[in-house]
Amino acid sequence: MKHSFQRAGAAAVAVGVAASMGISSGVSGASAGHVSRASGKLTIALVVGASSDPFFQAMKIGAQQEASKLGVNVIYQGNSTTYSPATQIPVVNQVLATKPSGLAIAPTDPTALQAAVNRAISEGIPVVNVDTHVNSMSKVLSFITGNNTQGGMVAADALAKAMHYKSGSTFQVAVGLSSGTSTTDVARLTGFKQEIAKKYPGVKIVATGYSESNSATANTNINNWLTAYPHLTGIFAIDGTNATGASSAIQAKGLVNKVSLVGYDAYANNVSLIKKGVITALIAQQPTLEGKMAVDDLVHYLRTHNTTGIQKAVQLPNITLTKTTPASTLKKYTYPA
Amino acid sequence: MDADHSTGTSVVPPIEGEAAQSMVGEAPVSVTPAGDLSAGAAAPSKRKGLLAALGSQQSILILVLLAMIGGFSIVKPVFFSVGVFGNILVAWAPVALIAIGETFVIISGGIDLSVGSTITLSGVIAGYAMAATTSAGWPSGFSIFIGALVAAGTGLLVGLVNATLINVAKLVPFVATLATLGAGAGVALVLTHGAPVGGGPSNAISLSVPRFGPFSWPAIFVIVVIVIAGFFLHTARFGRYVFAIGGNSFAATAVGISVPRYVTKVYGLSGMFAGLAGMITYLTLASGSPTAGTGDELSAIAAVVIGGASLTGGVGRIGGTVLGSLILTTVTSGLVVVNIDPNWNQVVVAILIAAAVSLQTVRRGIHRRPR
Repeated sequence: MKHSFQRAGAAAVAVGVAASMGISSGVSGASAGHVSRASGKLTIALVVGASSDPFFQAMKIGAQQEASKLGVNVIYQGNSTTYSPATQIPVVNQVLATKPSGLAIAPTDPTALQAAVNRAISEGIPVVNVDTHVNSMSKVLSFITGNNTQGGMVAADALAKAMHYKSGSTFQVAVGLSSGTSTTDVARLTGFKQEIAKKYPGVKIVATGYSESNSATANTNINNWLTAYPHLTGIFAIDGTNATGASSAIQAKGLVNKVSLVGYDAYANNVSLIKKGVITALIAQQPTLEGKMAVDDLVHYLRTHNTTGIQKAVQLPNITLTKTTPASTLKKYTYPA
Repeated sequence: MDADHSTGTSVVPPIEGEAAQSMVGEAPVSVTPAGDLSAGAAAPSKRKGLLAALGSQQSILILVLLAMIGGFSIVKPVFFSVGVFGNILVAWAPVALIAIGETFVIISGGIDLSVGSTITLSGVIAGYAMAATTSAGWPSGFSIFIGALVAAGTGLLVGLVNATLINVAKLVPFVATLATLGAGAGVALVLTHGAPVGGGPSNAISLSVPRFGPFSWPAIFVIVVIVIAGFFLHTARFGRYVFAIGGNSFAATAVGISVPRYVTKVYGLSGMFAGLAGMITYLTLASGSPTAGTGDELSAIAAVVIGGASLTGGVGRIGGTVLGSLILTTVTSGLVVVNIDPNWNQVVVAILIAAAVSLQTVRRGIHRRPR
């Protein structure tokens, strides 16, 4: 504690010096970030879409770990379950009212969240975008993402490989989404379809369904697909609810190893289902690293008031995890809980 | 059907169906069989029509269900198969169970919005309990037994919190259970960080699989619960008091029924059923999922309302609720099998609810006219 306090004190001095020297940033075009007066520590606000999403939970853990290393605070906010600009805008406005030193935000809509991002920048709060971004990125410090469209493409590759795709044959697959309005789900589906159109013309998407954010509903959808399409060879479970619903349906119907299942996001339970062979492949993002890098960028800028060394746009690769992935790699990419 | 239960000598008349409605209007304080008998005595010839009309809600529901099965089967013949019926019953079991509890609550004049998140919460907590017993090396049957106890206990606890909020904190049921709905979902997310809880007995999922034709063990369990609940609601004193409270709680108090005690019992029952539904969902998903019960409270209420219960209390049948829940789960599965755009599901359910409630109102209107 003492150690971190000293570093925080040093940081406050550094920021103060930078501000008094009148170094202009060119990024935010405003004065240095605020330092919370109560603790003297920098405070990084991480505002996400749905705060209960394990993806964002893992991002929070990455941010917190880095923050405690650097001696700064992290506040983590977002609507608990709804990924929507309507619920995110009031949250980010409340967070900005508390005057954080820096803002890392995963905007739920590129247009709707632009105003909040502009407001932060005009108030001298540097902004980093994580996972998704706003339309105008010119004043945003950096953007760190695991591209969802690319993730959908990787998923198509993994599913084709698992089904032993060969041209000339037809492969029936079904896709389970959370809802028709979830932008991440739609981006993944777009990438999936693009890759199929380009590389796997024999793959036919015979059914698409929504779980309405309920894993039991996902289970009902997939049970019925497995009954209605006896030749179904693959399922792409785009979100966590569908991975749970699909893995249980495949087990209940005794179709493990007969129907290939590609899921998204490396929750501990999903990773254990890879080991059992129920889930054929998982597309893992790197939310912990995203959170860490966002804090790094903001703290670096707030302490040095300098953008040197900050990458403007970082795209982290999506990792495909399968049964043959080494245990250490599986462990590395499993989301912390 | 209802008038046959009339004993005339019991302290509280069989306050069901239209009798309860008339009682509110005609005899708000003194609960005597007068309201019921006079209705029958004044219009003996109408009684047959009343009986037929009352029975017709369920007859209509059976026709709707059969028409749906027929329609889906024509569009997609595979719908008419043991496989699809099995899928429907797997989805039906937890929804029916919470709808049964909800029937008692709604007839008593209340509402329980917390059942959806209680499914989630109890499934998650039972998941942790079973992961612990499994990693401790206990046999899987024992783990599942413990899981069921923990799930039922968690649900019962939520129900008792609801009852306390209503009886002691004097919240209206809607607000009390809205609070526990949010709190339950929140606690489940805090515990799990949004990820499913695995590590339970490896053969859990085999218990959820249809075993006797389309019937799985959970479905059979729910059918047994329905029979017992139907007995308690429609023939036992417990049920008569629940109807009495929902029909007119002041009158029920006046004849010596302890309303708070029955509120506790009814919400406790609803909570416990939701807990058991959480256990069934655990078995179906082979994990305690933090999203297992999202929105299920609305399915439960929809099933009860489609089944002919009145949200103002005092009216309802277990049989109607069972049919209502079957119709809802049949629509959901049917639309998937027929491969209709999933966005239509909500629209179809909405139309069903509106149609059922309007049917009820129209029927009540017909009854009122002779008086």
